[in-house]
Amino acid sequence: MESTPLHQRQARRLKNFYLMLTAFFIIVQLVWVGVPIIMAILWSVVDPRNPWSYPNVIPPSFSVEPWKYVFNYTNIARALRTSYMVAPLAVLLSFLLSLPTAYVLGRKNIPGKKIFMLVILLPIIMPGMVVALFLSRVFTSFGLSQTFLGLVLAHTLMSMPYMIRVMTTSFQAIPQDVIDAAENLGAGTLVKIKDIFLPMIRPGLLAGMIFAFTTSIEEFNLTFIIGTPTFETIPTILYSFMGYNFIRTNASVVALLMMTPNIIMLFIVERFLKSDYLAASLGKM
Amino acid sequence: MKPKGISLVNWLMLLPGVGFILLFIGSSIFLTLAQSFGLFSTTGSSSFTLENWVGVLTARESMDSLLFSLKMGILSSVGTLLTAFPIALFFRKGGKGKGMLGSLIKVPLFIPALVASFLILNLISYHGLINTILMKLNFINEPLRMLNDKFGWGVVFIQIWKNLPFVLLIVMAALASVRDDVIDAARNLGAGYLSILFRIYVPLAMPGILVSMILMFIRAFGDFPITSVAGPLYPASLAGRMHIMATLYQEWDQAAVLGVIIIVTTFFVIWSYSRLAGLVQGEE
Repeated sequence: MESTPLHQRQARRLKNFYLMLTAFFIIVQLVWVGVPIIMAILWSVVDPRNPWSYPNVIPPSFSVEPWKYVFNYTNIARALRTSYMVAPLAVLLSFLLSLPTAYVLGRKNIPGKKIFMLVILLPIIMPGMVVALFLSRVFTSFGLSQTFLGLVLAHTLMSMPYMIRVMTTSFQAIPQDVIDAAENLGAGTLVKIKDIFLPMIRPGLLAGMIFAFTTSIEEFNLTFIIGTPTFETIPTILYSFMGYNFIRTNASVVALLMMTPNIIMLFIVERFLKSDYLAASLGKM
Repeated sequence: MKPKGISLVNWLMLLPGVGFILLFIGSSIFLTLAQSFGLFSTTGSSSFTLENWVGVLTARESMDSLLFSLKMGILSSVGTLLTAFPIALFFRKGGKGKGMLGSLIKVPLFIPALVASFLILNLISYHGLINTILMKLNFINEPLRMLNDKFGWGVVFIQIWKNLPFVLLIVMAALASVRDDVIDAARNLGAGYLSILFRIYVPLAMPGILVSMILMFIRAFGDFPITSVAGPLYPASLAGRMHIMATLYQEWDQAAVLGVIIIVTTFFVIWSYSRLAGLVQGEE
């Protein structure tokens, strides 16, 4: 195809325009995302003897005092431990419970599939506080309220929608030919699971696990109602720091503690995975 | 053809996932519904009554909370969509720097809602960064009230900040299905930018737009933590009001009524979505 000089010039102009627009959007995003995070970092290193107040745009002096204070005088260490103990257990449990269900939903033609796909979304569709309050009543009657097991079950419940949806999508993506071929060659159920299903759903499984893990780390409503005051997790501690006893420096430390692992983990995973897992699995109800 | 026995195995395999969710969510929905009519009551006397409903529906606070939560739901979902749609359109065509821009935009997706509230709170609080800058530049004489404001703009802002990437991902996926040929054809036939936008992009991305708006509405409507941190002192969000009713006043039955109102609204919105989605797909 030949293009006239005018055509080329227009194309170049358009390209430059797009580049400038991209640069503009990047700057806007740097401010939009960067400034709030930088503010939190600054607040977490404010020197308590030299407080940061109105006319100063930047704290007058820095210290690690807030970090020391939070670790020495609040329950944060225990909350961190609880959070990071509940999350892996909840991920494991939701994986075990989701695997067979996702297989059936992804590979079999069963009546009422649409309804099941909706039912699976219930934990994230249902307003958190309603579930939390009345699930706590159910838990109380089972003796699960204020227990570690109850906390794990609640977190499992909240992470299952992501797990099942993402894994269903990856089960769906396995071409039937591959399975047929394996069957023709005499593969039994175990061989099929080991050599076809598990390797082919691995990326989706990883994505599902990460989503489930971060859901558990972030979970607030259910933990707040079912766990406190016996168990505190990072979100409930942060909430208490933002409530009646609002101490901005402490809240900044906890906020950073909570979001840094999340951001790192999800960025690492995104490098290895196609990022559209979430959209693919939640894009339709 | 499949042998008949397999069907039972399939149902059994559905059980761990679907059953677990149905057991816990179903029982809590059932309990909410029953308690709102005075059954399974905590106070001992359990008999069918409409008292709680009358009590809640005639209380000024509850109605104010309902209106407030509806307002937050609508404003948050519309606001996020209006912000996300132009960016999603911009992302349709690849180019230099888009990868970096994409990762930057996605950051709030990885930030928990409570942390997001805290981050934004630092900006919009009374002596926060925005007020400080505006005052240094002499745009305003005294700080603006953006946090805990009567209207709830602070909440809307936090919702948009936190959920923009989520909506963006869904809308982008929807827009990716619009083929370039269609746009070129329309342009050849003399369509302007506006008619391409409203007659091609918007209708073809409609399923994605609807899903993201529904999910946003549900989140903002049933929200508890963000509103209680950044919302007005009065009214509380519907979920917040329910929480106060149950834990502070120990009026579990009235809290259940509020719970039913939240659940019914949520399901009604989802039902209308499925009707709308059917209509949109029917047109094609």
